[in-house]
Amino acid sequence: MTNRMHDIILGLLLLILSGVWSWLVIDTIPSGFGEGDIGPRAFPLIFGLFLAGLSGLLLLKAVLSKPDELKLSLAGAAHSVIHWIPAGLILIEISVYGYLLKTCGFVIATPVVILFVMLVNLRIRSAKMLLGMSIGITLTCWLIFEKVLGIYLANGSWINIG
Amino acid sequence: MEQFLNAFALAFTPMSIAAIGLGSLVGLIFGSIPGLTFTVALALALPISFSLDAVPAIGLLLGTYIGGMTGGSVSAILLGIPGTPSAAATVLDGHPMTRNGDASLALGTAVIVSVFGGIFSLIIMIVSVDLVSKVAIGFGPAEIFALVLFGFSTICGLCGISLIKGLISGVLGLMIMTIGLDAIEGVPRLTFGSVNMLQGINLLVALIGLFAVPFIVEAFSDESDRTGGPKRMSNIRPELPSLRLLYQNVGLMIRSALIGTGIGAIPGTGGAIASFLAYDNARRFSKKPETFGKGNIEGVIAPETANNAVTGGTLIPLLSLGIPGDPATAIVLAGLMIHGLVPGPALFMNHASEVYGIYIAVVLAYVWVLGLQLLGIRIFVHVLRVPRDILALVVLVLCAIGAYSIRNSAFDIYAMAIIGVSAYVLVAVRIPITPIILGMVLGPTLENEFRTAMMLSEGQADIFYTSPTVIVFFSLAALVIVFQSLSELKMKRKEKQKVNVSNA
Repeated sequence: MTNRMHDIILGLLLLILSGVWSWLVIDTIPSGFGEGDIGPRAFPLIFGLFLAGLSGLLLLKAVLSKPDELKLSLAGAAHSVIHWIPAGLILIEISVYGYLLKTCGFVIATPVVILFVMLVNLRIRSAKMLLGMSIGITLTCWLIFEKVLGIYLANGSWINIG
Repeated sequence: MEQFLNAFALAFTPMSIAAIGLGSLVGLIFGSIPGLTFTVALALALPISFSLDAVPAIGLLLGTYIGGMTGGSVSAILLGIPGTPSAAATVLDGHPMTRNGDASLALGTAVIVSVFGGIFSLIIMIVSVDLVSKVAIGFGPAEIFALVLFGFSTICGLCGISLIKGLISGVLGLMIMTIGLDAIEGVPRLTFGSVNMLQGINLLVALIGLFAVPFIVEAFSDESDRTGGPKRMSNIRPELPSLRLLYQNVGLMIRSALIGTGIGAIPGTGGAIASFLAYDNARRFSKKPETFGKGNIEGVIAPETANNAVTGGTLIPLLSLGIPGDPATAIVLAGLMIHGLVPGPALFMNHASEVYGIYIAVVLAYVWVLGLQLLGIRIFVHVLRVPRDILALVVLVLCAIGAYSIRNSAFDIYAMAIIGVSAYVLVAVRIPITPIILGMVLGPTLENEFRTAMMLSEGQADIFYTSPTVIVFFSLAALVIVFQSLSELKMKRKEKQKVNVSNA
């Protein structure tokens, strides 16, 4: 996909986002009472309109540009490849980590997530490495943060082993 | 003179020196881990200070504050993840320096200029506490709004290759920060009935997501360019900044320290605004502005000097008027009051020895920070020896701990993940991340001060053009925008010429 195409899609997506945002703002946030009360709606709405204007400009610029113009532009370096699978996996893994922290606590959630990441993302198969890393990182963090620095690490609501 | 000698005696007891050292160490550790703020460290240190005498107690708190402010640069430079919001601007050139194999130089420079900024601001504070406090207290909502707007105008310089994309990024940052409970009227905004959403998106959580998650995704991507990551220890020159380098940048350091002290003296502003303003100032007056963002040492010197100069600046309204500039100095204020040191003009008359003792404690804290961090550089850079994917795994766990510990809420971890992955996609389509941060840092202040000003003036907009301070800041903002637009036009013309030549 060319940079021009990327910018057209990006401009369209941002335009939709700004439309949805502005509609939600108007629909759910009350306006001010006047007499100096700007109200909680004004700023989110202004930002939504700014985004609409800017994304419209981006779209217009991309549509009006010649197909090869952006490619030839020295400053307009090519867009990077988006690694959707690792990005999606990370999103799921961090979210699951958050959920496990809440329900099972730090001591259980951390080695489970580390094991999963090492097996799925890093494709490590050495049992020694898997066990050493998951237990080692968990214990080191628990000792430093919970015991030395006195930071509260999550205790599970389902299982609580400290 | 006698009071000064008394102050020396109070500050140079073994207990004082040890307390300041402990505070500096704890602050450095908390500051260098993303998510663990020095405000948390101060809250933990406050109960310890109860049993100490006044000077060691305040020294412990100030040491923690100063150590935390300085420590934020460690992860910003090594990993590209700012330990504190004040270190966000340091990432822009500090991390590229690490990629170029100059991590040691960047870390060494950061700590030395931090100490310079801190001590410079302390001197300014001592000699001009009365004057600066009078000027700073004259800043009402309209003036702070104008200052923040001026700060926001620097976004033009941080847009990178496309002004439109940079502005989109800034607006996205502003939008994110409006989610949650409205600070003035308590109205929920775009919370969809969720209790978790009421607390809004925490700035630190967003910062961790913006910087750490793209790093983790790239490290875990099979096809990622592993050579782009930090080089191994063997490639890192164990180099500290030379006297010549520091001498060449004295002017920049003084300018940045003045910006930091000035911003710090205005309550409700803070280190992040100061460091971005100083960064923009450095880039604007640099002989090589095109190298900013690629590892220019000036891009480390300016924000690090400014954010540490804030520490001296915040002491001005704190000691002279009892007004804390941020949550961290509010804890220092609590420490002062617990030990019977009530801020105000009377403090300088009734407790002169203690006040001088506190000044000496600040200098001692900087000496501790300098020593600890210069010694620590050799240890810190070992982080770069760890293979990138394993480092990313550890960063993932640390970031989750950091995000969770801010409000003990799993919601913050979900927010970090969503913001982080979105940031990864935005970076891939060449939308710069820095303006988002600027939008998030300045957005809440911009809105709240504007609305407060309008309420005070009962809807009359003249509040924004009758104050000379406001007019000065508005004019500066306009100048920045005009100059930036002109330089962008000039750059585009040059670029077109180059393209035409290459086509020919």
